[in-house]
Amino acid sequence: MTFKEPRSFELTIPSRLEEMQAVHELVGKAVKEYKLSDELAHWIELTISESMINAIQHGNQADPAKEATLRISSNGDSIEIIVEDQGCGFKLDKVADPTDIANLLKPSGRGILIIRSFMDEVDLTQREGGGCRLRMVKKIRGAPQ
Amino acid sequence: MSMVLNARRLDDVVILDLSGRITMGEGTLILRERIQKLLGAGDRKFLLNLADVDYIDSSGLGELVSSFTTVRNQGGLLKLLSLTKRVQDLLQITKLLTVFEVFNNEAEALKTMK
Repeated sequence: MTFKEPRSFELTIPSRLEEMQAVHELVGKAVKEYKLSDELAHWIELTISESMINAIQHGNQADPAKEATLRISSNGDSIEIIVEDQGCGFKLDKVADPTDIANLLKPSGRGILIIRSFMDEVDLTQREGGGCRLRMVKKIRGAPQ
Repeated sequence: MSMVLNARRLDDVVILDLSGRITMGEGTLILRERIQKLLGAGDRKFLLNLADVDYIDSSGLGELVSSFTTVRNQGGLLKLLSLTKRVQDLLQITKLLTVFEVFNNEAEALKTMK
């Protein structure tokens, strides 16, 4: 794990769900550093967790030989979160709408909707050399506390 | 804090008091196994009290949906009680408020399950 103090945090983990505890710990440090309200901290933790689980399960197909990387930074006005995987299991515009009546009772498929609902910017790009890069931005100045 | 689940019974309704985090892994497994066990014992009416659930992720939501369909497919009822604002917001975003019957008062919920 590498820290880039004081305003950015970075973590690279093998693609195992057991590694998510380290993700939650890093997010805890970041939200403390950025002095976020409990409410903002909650939604930031949830969206990061959803995006890292997506990277591990869908991007990297839970292959522990592949890595998922999380970067969190802030300029004081907003928080930028970047999640990278080595697989790229989906395209944002191809994700089925979980609120469609046909999908409402399905047990999965709501993670991207949750991310998009909370974040102000969400984009997914292909990385050079393979894999995907999910970039999310949340404005924190003037956000409801 | 991982999820804690306590069950109590009022007549033929099983009230499951959940607290902590309902997330992928242990939290969802605890709920699934308890409901399957109760269904196997003949219970068909469930009220999930989420008053002390402060965090739920998309897997947790998925487990609520799975529990709902499993119970309904066996002719039973599964309703929700006392959502926190965060859980309520997630159910709103995902339109799951159109799936579940939600109550703020336990006695009112029980009345609808007789």
